[in-house]
Amino acid sequence: MQYLLTEQQKARHGDFKTFVNQNVEPFAEKWDREQRLPESVIALLAKLGYLGCSLPTQNGGHGWDTVTFGLLNEALGRGSSSLNGVLTVQTMVSKALLKWGSVEQIRKWIPMLAQGEIIGAFALTEPGGGSDIHSLVTEFTDSRGDSLVLNGAKKWISCGQFASLFLVFGKLGDRSLACLVPRETPGLEVEPIHDLMGFRAAGLAKLTFNNVEVPPANVVGKPGFALSHIAPVGLHYGRISTACSALGLLRGCFEESVTWAATRKIGNQPLGDIGMIRSLIAEMGTDLEAGSFLCHSACRAADENLPEAFEKALMAKYFTSRAAVRAASDAVQIQGAAGCHASSSVSRFYRDAKIMEIIEGTTQIHEHLLGGIFLGQVRRSLQ
Amino acid sequence: MTNSSHAEEEKKVRETVTNFLLSSINIANLNDDDNLFASGIVNSLFAVQLMTFLEKIFVIELGMDDLDIENFKSVNATTAFVMRKKGWQKAEAGPS
Ligand SMILES: Cc1cc2nc3c(=O)[nH]c(=O)nc-3n(C[C@H](O)[C@H](O)[C@H](O)COP(=O)(O)OP(=O)(O)OC[C@H]3O[C@@H](n4cnc5c(N)ncnc54)[C@H](O)[C@@H]3O)c2cc1C
Repeated sequence: MQYLLTEQQKARHGDFKTFVNQNVEPFAEKWDREQRLPESVIALLAKLGYLGCSLPTQNGGHGWDTVTFGLLNEALGRGSSSLNGVLTVQTMVSKALLKWGSVEQIRKWIPMLAQGEIIGAFALTEPGGGSDIHSLVTEFTDSRGDSLVLNGAKKWISCGQFASLFLVFGKLGDRSLACLVPRETPGLEVEPIHDLMGFRAAGLAKLTFNNVEVPPANVVGKPGFALSHIAPVGLHYGRISTACSALGLLRGCFEESVTWAATRKIGNQPLGDIGMIRSLIAEMGTDLEAGSFLCHSACRAADENLPEAFEKALMAKYFTSRAAVRAASDAVQIQGAAGCHASSSVSRFYRDAKIMEIIEGTTQIHEHLLGGIFLGQVRRSLQ
Repeated sequence: MTNSSHAEEEKKVRETVTNFLLSSINIANLNDDDNLFASGIVNSLFAVQLMTFLEKIFVIELGMDDLDIENFKSVNATTAFVMRKKGWQKAEAGPS
């Protein structure tokens, strides 16, 4: 896949991998065990401009293309899915706001998000459900004056424990609406969620809104467009980010497995000489190559602003998340008991991989959408 | 823009929009005034795919001010929106 990258993209990928080698991999197990990311590592991502790398330079970002953004997610995903989660949601909030925010909102918030001075969170899922976003019950009501009043709850919100700015989705009557809620807003309660099986350091939280005042300046877009236009832009970048992060995890499984298979002896025989182990490695390596192409294709389509970019991101995320689950399971199998212990990163990969099948739309929701798209294409060609 | 070149451009825009819609939504026949957002015709990605298509093909950028269902609800509405966005207006009637 490397031949599809420019020299600059290859060089940056090299830098990202070095960064992860030095600053992420040695600590990822500790973060997972302690269920928190140290402020210092988020500050480091911010300092390097990674948190706003795909935002335009005039807004304080690096202006990197989506392919390079994907490579950064891949490298971070190899080290820590939880840490990459920060980049995922920061990008979801920033991209949605950059596309649909007012001039004043873009001027006020995007440079701070781009520089990592503030961390954003994307608050869509509710305790009542995540897949059917049209059944949201978080509610905006008109109040006296220009402001709206927000009531309801959001659950499983990545980075909610430490984010300073929430992009929140709800309904105003029967129309969907999105707004920004700064963390210090009166009436917003943030309750940490601990003890997830994976993404344990991603700082998940439940948010409760009790008569939170939303001034007109914090309404994003217009009523009726939050679920059709605003959320899909965020989710699109969330899928690209998660697809590439899952690819990084898959690479981790592959690298750990081949190293183990090459060095571990069963009697006098290297483990890798056993045909059944080779089968597992063959599938992992081929999935890795296939996933790389799908991720690259999704990122290129986003860079070229192609309408099919959205379905390409669905395909990439659908494929790599499922391949990561298979690879992590096989990587644990190849290492035996050692793979079941926290000292081996594959045990963490095994828990993190499953989460990738749930976030940014579950596997079933991807199948529902992609199945519909493919069937629609055939139906139309038969008409 | 003269009235005849306006009509030509409008025809081209309408054809381009119609072809895109027929290739991306589940409907056999599409009339210029059919409501695209009527239930079942489009999936949840349609709105952003249409937005991206319009941006790409007509070299325009959509933003918050364009979020109005009247701009996208049908072939006619979308065609008129693109014509406005491109600044392709009919010639003003001259002084008589
Ligand atoms: C670690 C983690 C981080 C997260 N971060 C965020 C975040 O930052 N922001 C945010 O808003 N949310 C976040 N979420 C929530 C996530 O987006 C939801 O969990 C996800 O959308 C699924 O919703 P649900 O859990 O309510 O499952 P449900 O929607 O209740 O679904 C349950 C099961 O039913 C299946 N199902 C549902 N509908 C259909 C259908 N039509 N056809 C077939 N099967 C169906 C699902 O695939 C799933 O298997 C996070 C979740 C996790 C675990």
